[in-house]
Amino acid sequence: MAEANPEPSTADNSTPNTSTTDVKEESNRSPFECNICFDTAHDAVVSKCGHLYCWACIYQWINQKPLNPTCPVCKGAISKDTLTPIYGKSGNQSDPRNEAPPRPQGQREESPQQNTFFGGPFGNELTFQIGIGAFPFGLFTNFGPFNYPGPHGQNRQQQQHPEAEQERTLSKIFIYIAIVFIIWVLY
Amino acid sequence: MALKRITKELQDLGRDPPAQCSAGPVGDDLFHWQATIIGPNDSPYAGGVFFLTIHFPTDYPFKPPKIGFTTRIYHPNINSNGSICLDILRSQWSPALTISKVLLSICSLLGDPNPDDPLVPEIARIYKTDRARYNTLAKEWTKKYST
Repeated sequence: MAEANPEPSTADNSTPNTSTTDVKEESNRSPFECNICFDTAHDAVVSKCGHLYCWACIYQWINQKPLNPTCPVCKGAISKDTLTPIYGKSGNQSDPRNEAPPRPQGQREESPQQNTFFGGPFGNELTFQIGIGAFPFGLFTNFGPFNYPGPHGQNRQQQQHPEAEQERTLSKIFIYIAIVFIIWVLY
Repeated sequence: MALKRITKELQDLGRDPPAQCSAGPVGDDLFHWQATIIGPNDSPYAGGVFFLTIHFPTDYPFKPPKIGFTTRIYHPNINSNGSICLDILRSQWSPALTISKVLLSICSLLGDPNPDDPLVPEIARIYKTDRARYNTLAKEWTKKYST
């Protein structure tokens, strides 16, 4: 039907017709179809040989052939452990699997660069202690993170025990005494 | 799951029908189909139209469909009940296979019998020892039952 054709060009009638059919077929056939149910893969996993499945579908197939499970497409060896899950952006797909256990976990290896200086065992609790060992009272004081109230400073102070508050006041008094003592020794 | 997958296969068959074959549901029951295969030209079955029935199990595609010839055929791998001896219909079934692919495999089995794994040993023996007689008998049966 030449009249129904929206193409204004002078090209022959067959060309636009074939192209619309192709587009239609492409929209019907997603490249992310499960090779078992032929639907868009839910909770997609991919085999080592690169074939895509729903987790529920391939789980059922592997369970059916517990001895030598093979990839349904290429008959290569597969197992639950060698399947890789695929995580897309949208996570609100309804879960069709009620009987099957959850998908295998992705295996993420920690990059060695992420173990930097502050990631050590002390972390945020790193404090500096100054002690005057010669003083008979075992005088010392703390300069920890809670001495510098940041955005979470108030929170932190509320978490401290009242005894800690008293200790700090005491240690301040002692340090003043120590300074006076040192000045007296020097002069 | 089975019904959805069968519906998809039916759509695919309509969109891209395989050469020499056709298939579709018999009535309202999508689990029961009928298929036809046209005898390959380079075989003694040329000119014949062979009918088959297809029954899908409820756990399709995890289990293979049950396919059998309803038209009689003289073939070492197909017996008088219409049963087909084909590995992909038994041990080598894969859920990635489709009716379209299975029908194409049956089509190629017609053109290239496998006498080493026969269902009818007598036909296999004739196929192996006296190919001319096999060809004559197969042509006769084709003419008698499928044209």
